[in-house]
Amino acid sequence: MNTDVQTASSTLSGAVMVVGGGVAGVQTALDLTELGYKVYLVEKSGALGGVMARLDKTFPTNDCSLCILAPKLVEVGRDPNIEILTKSELVGLQGTPGQFTARIKKQPRYIDEEVCTGCGQCTLYCLKQIGDDYNENLEHTQAAHIDYAQAVPTSYYIDAKACLRLNYETCGLCAVACQAKAIRFDQQEKTLEIKVGAVILAPGFGRVSNEILARYGWGKFKDVLSAFEHERLMCASGPTGGEILRMSDQKHPKKIAFLQCIGSRDETCGNNYCSSVCCMYAIKQATLAREHDPDCEITLFHMDIRTHGKGFDAARERATKEKDFRVIYARPAKVEDVFDGGLLLTWATYDGQHHYEKFDLVVLSQGLEAPDDAEQLARAAGIELNEYLFAQTDNYTPLATSRPGVYVIGAFQGPKDIPESVTQASGAAALCAGQLAPARGSETIKASFPEERDISQEEPRVGVFVCHCGINIGGVVDVPAVADYAKGLPGVIYATDNLYSCSQDTQSLLIEIIHKYDLNRLVVAACTPRTHEPLFQATLRDAGLNRSLFEMANIRDQCSWVHIHEPEAATEKAKDAVRMAVAKAGHLTALEEQELPVTPSALVIGGGLAGMTAALTIAEQGFAVTLVERDKTLGGRALLLSADRYGNDPQKTICDLIVQVNNHPLITVHTKAEVAAVSGYVGNFTTTVTTHKASEVINHGVAVLATGGRPYEPSQYLYGQSARVITQLDLERRLAASRPLAKKTKQVVMIQCVGSRGEDLSYCSRVCCGQALKNAIRLKNAQPGLQITILYRDMRAYGFLEDDYRRARQLGIIFSRYEVADKPEVKLGKAKASPLQVTYYDSLLSETMELATDLLVLSTGIVPEDPTALAKMLKVPITAEKFFLEAHVKLQPVDLPVDGTYVCGLAHSPKSMDETIAQAQAAAGRASQPLAHGSIVPAPIVSKVDPELCIGCGACETFCPYKAIQIYKEEKKRKARTITASCKGCGVCAARCPTMAIDMGRFTFAGIMAQIHAFGLEN
Amino acid sequence: MSDYSPKILGFLCNWCCYTAADSAGVGRYQYPPNMRVIRMMCTGRLDPSFPLEGLATGADAIFVGGCHPGECHYIDGNYHALISTSLVHETMARLGINKDRLLIDWASAAEGPNFVKIITAFTQRVAELGPLGEAEGMDQEEIRAKLSAAAETARGRKVRTGLINASKEMVKGGDFSRQTISGLVATKCDKALTALVG
Repeated sequence: MNTDVQTASSTLSGAVMVVGGGVAGVQTALDLTELGYKVYLVEKSGALGGVMARLDKTFPTNDCSLCILAPKLVEVGRDPNIEILTKSELVGLQGTPGQFTARIKKQPRYIDEEVCTGCGQCTLYCLKQIGDDYNENLEHTQAAHIDYAQAVPTSYYIDAKACLRLNYETCGLCAVACQAKAIRFDQQEKTLEIKVGAVILAPGFGRVSNEILARYGWGKFKDVLSAFEHERLMCASGPTGGEILRMSDQKHPKKIAFLQCIGSRDETCGNNYCSSVCCMYAIKQATLAREHDPDCEITLFHMDIRTHGKGFDAARERATKEKDFRVIYARPAKVEDVFDGGLLLTWATYDGQHHYEKFDLVVLSQGLEAPDDAEQLARAAGIELNEYLFAQTDNYTPLATSRPGVYVIGAFQGPKDIPESVTQASGAAALCAGQLAPARGSETIKASFPEERDISQEEPRVGVFVCHCGINIGGVVDVPAVADYAKGLPGVIYATDNLYSCSQDTQSLLIEIIHKYDLNRLVVAACTPRTHEPLFQATLRDAGLNRSLFEMANIRDQCSWVHIHEPEAATEKAKDAVRMAVAKAGHLTALEEQELPVTPSALVIGGGLAGMTAALTIAEQGFAVTLVERDKTLGGRALLLSADRYGNDPQKTICDLIVQVNNHPLITVHTKAEVAAVSGYVGNFTTTVTTHKASEVINHGVAVLATGGRPYEPSQYLYGQSARVITQLDLERRLAASRPLAKKTKQVVMIQCVGSRGEDLSYCSRVCCGQALKNAIRLKNAQPGLQITILYRDMRAYGFLEDDYRRARQLGIIFSRYEVADKPEVKLGKAKASPLQVTYYDSLLSETMELATDLLVLSTGIVPEDPTALAKMLKVPITAEKFFLEAHVKLQPVDLPVDGTYVCGLAHSPKSMDETIAQAQAAAGRASQPLAHGSIVPAPIVSKVDPELCIGCGACETFCPYKAIQIYKEEKKRKARTITASCKGCGVCAARCPTMAIDMGRFTFAGIMAQIHAFGLEN
Repeated sequence: MSDYSPKILGFLCNWCCYTAADSAGVGRYQYPPNMRVIRMMCTGRLDPSFPLEGLATGADAIFVGGCHPGECHYIDGNYHALISTSLVHETMARLGINKDRLLIDWASAAEGPNFVKIITAFTQRVAELGPLGEAEGMDQEEIRAKLSAAAETARGRKVRTGLINASKEMVKGGDFSRQTISGLVATKCDKALTALVG
């Protein structure tokens, strides 16, 4: 649906080129191989990871950035269907969709990737010091180096500009020092021609120029830092080992100021747009700065606080309150140095008052720009850019560039945060899979693992790895002491500590040590098994061991993070956790894997923009879809909008979409239908759908939830009492009419955040500010003499919406900020026909204003359709605000915690149409993975009956919630047996068995008893 | 009592309480460091002997954390957990042990702060009780030996058959209130417990 891609399947390529190896590129590459396509991952620098690899933490949860990214990098490094091309750039793209020839220029690394062992001897011997770009040049590295310890590929490279040997024919020490003989000074630049069916551009964003930063004293005063520099200072692997220090005197700053909108919302530097992420990242950095030094005072200077993402306002409010931030609505014009080492900020507040104050450290929240080489890349790929040099996309095909078969994701599509980039990554993968459906699997190979070693006759030989997780664990728990302690535990052959246990080089180390010490059980004490168990289990398989021989001790999420101020107690707890894990590990046995077939079809619940887009994107990939809609027609709430911000009518797109969905041979639509019951699991769901006439049972492999939202019904500001008070959606309808306003309308007032952000709805609905701007401009265009006043709390005109905000001001629309404690008041006019009286405090004029208002428009939020019943049926969690709760807010933004279920659209959180489309395409892409695979391998945690002990009482059969245990007769005796494919491993049967004849895989009776007894032992 | 720090053993289900505990970490909510955790896929896995074994082997208290009633990832595992903990509570009562030393409570995956509240309050309560035996006015060694024997009893066929009958009636009756469930367990296991515990 995204583009009119005409392709001939005979010559269709089953490969996709991804340009850019940041989190978006990495995610789309992984999704593509899961969907059955080969990937060429082209990265300009020497390593994958992009900006996310440089971040210390990610908002709003302050998760350790590299900890959640590293497993993905490792996965990419391991994937036999991803070819990583580093130091490479796309320089040309010939051909047509499905049959492109991409030209790649690959610069030499001067170190052979295949041979380099990553030992680091070359760096040690290299004589030429250079600035360490990964650490924002706050420290040095050598010409022969690796970008960061966890980098993928785990191979060093030589900076050609700095190397003495390459430039002056001297030195060459690295070649002598390298034991592996990997140094290749004779490598030359290469041009490669690669045939691919589609291209996804994910080059990320560029930096605001140093000249802009210099306006605020950066480069002149040592204690003015860019946010990227500050981020590195906070990070354990950064130049100061995670200490926030002033560069001038190496002291801890006691007063930090964060200046927002540096190089954003700034016409003087051409960046008129809002960078969308800086408000949140500043709040994250401020929170962490306070955690580093609880005495540090934090001041944040905002123009507007734009924390419009899911859960962002809640995170911001909590941080502001708990960390006691001072928030000032002002934009300090410059930073001055004062004699005793402080930095002087001067600013004016809304009331016209001037203020000045001294700070120890100033952090510049710099915005995101288009990549430096955007124009070059656009020429090479043959795509158009917008006026700010970001890729040009359409509102209804947000991931398609101007050239068919070339897609764009991440910040190059417009400034955005990580979850949105990841969402787009999954969406673009789905679009490629749709475009190249006939070529699925034509260029991929199947991953192979070494044969599993039979350990059944061996005594337990346990290896223990205790992770520092940077300072996440190491900053609280005495990690070396825990590792030392582990060495003395029974069965432990080897124990050590790692900076990051999840990095690719550590995985190689794990395999090496498993072989070297003949280990047959692995215990990792680190973050949490919920996120990292699959990674370490994959490593076990690479080491020739069954994946069930693994146990994790949770010493981060449930230890160092929750006992930050009690390092000794946390260390004791970590030791106990390791002891218990080791005790359990001794009882782990190899478990047989089972491959289950997947019903190759999807169920999509909800027939609005999200649901229809998801259904179509799945069907385009060749899978059958059942679409269930409660109303009698498809279309949903998008039909309530009469124009988008570009002046186009969305109804046309929606109606086209309805026709496409209805006519698609693989889509079955049920309208006036509801889901009555769901059972089963990923690959094998059975759902009962009822209509007024009948009920139907549908078998499907996956489910996409697109149950949508509806407008919040206001009761404030005389809504429902006066015909002069309407909502933005009422106004949308009027604007579609030939005469939108009553003849004598002179003054229109809009009030933002009605019912939102702490009233009936605790959250920000994200789209209302943009909608108010759009409608105000439409009104102004229709009737230029009209007076429009918008009363707002923060104008959240994020991204390119800032253009609308500026345009609205240029058109003479008046904006006035109100405090939540001093909301506008609305009274009826004296006579029935007279205008309303709107009273508000104008902070610019410092006086209370009264406006005779002909029309009052309330900007109200979005409420999710009640998901409770569906959530219960599917066992998926919902938030307090009744949105579905995704599996991981950062890196699994459309997956639900129950395998095989996905979410998109307003059921996830309020969002605009283009965001909804991208998210629906993402959910479709993720949902298609099990379908494309054709089978799943569930975790082997099923129950097992010992026929010797079983007395055939049938209690297990009675209580099993999945009918996964059956009684059968053997030599006239009743016995129970597990139907492995149906068992989900809850263990009720084991707990109820009268003779304890039933045991659970990995959660065995003996294993848990060992944990209990290990708990009882003192350290 | 100020420097007394109780030892608590927790059995958390993977889908709700364990996830809530993780999310408490992600949010950096702080709580007392007294609990050690055993992860299981579902509290329905909780063998009735596990809490007794835990108390016998050194815990001052036991926490069992699952999904909210009606929200079990496996449909009704948490009700079966209530059957198991009812037996433990009944046993504790018969041994003269304060029943507050075993808590079964719920926190959904999204309820990190709620999990923290539960654990903080429970730790405080257990700290007030003091080491196992102290609030009970009994010798700790003796009490632990009795608990160990009780754990063995809970693994025996007689008690477990009682639990099966209680579970069947619970499912049939459709009343999942704690009171009803503990009543059912007390009735169905009375004989077996009387014979072995007294």
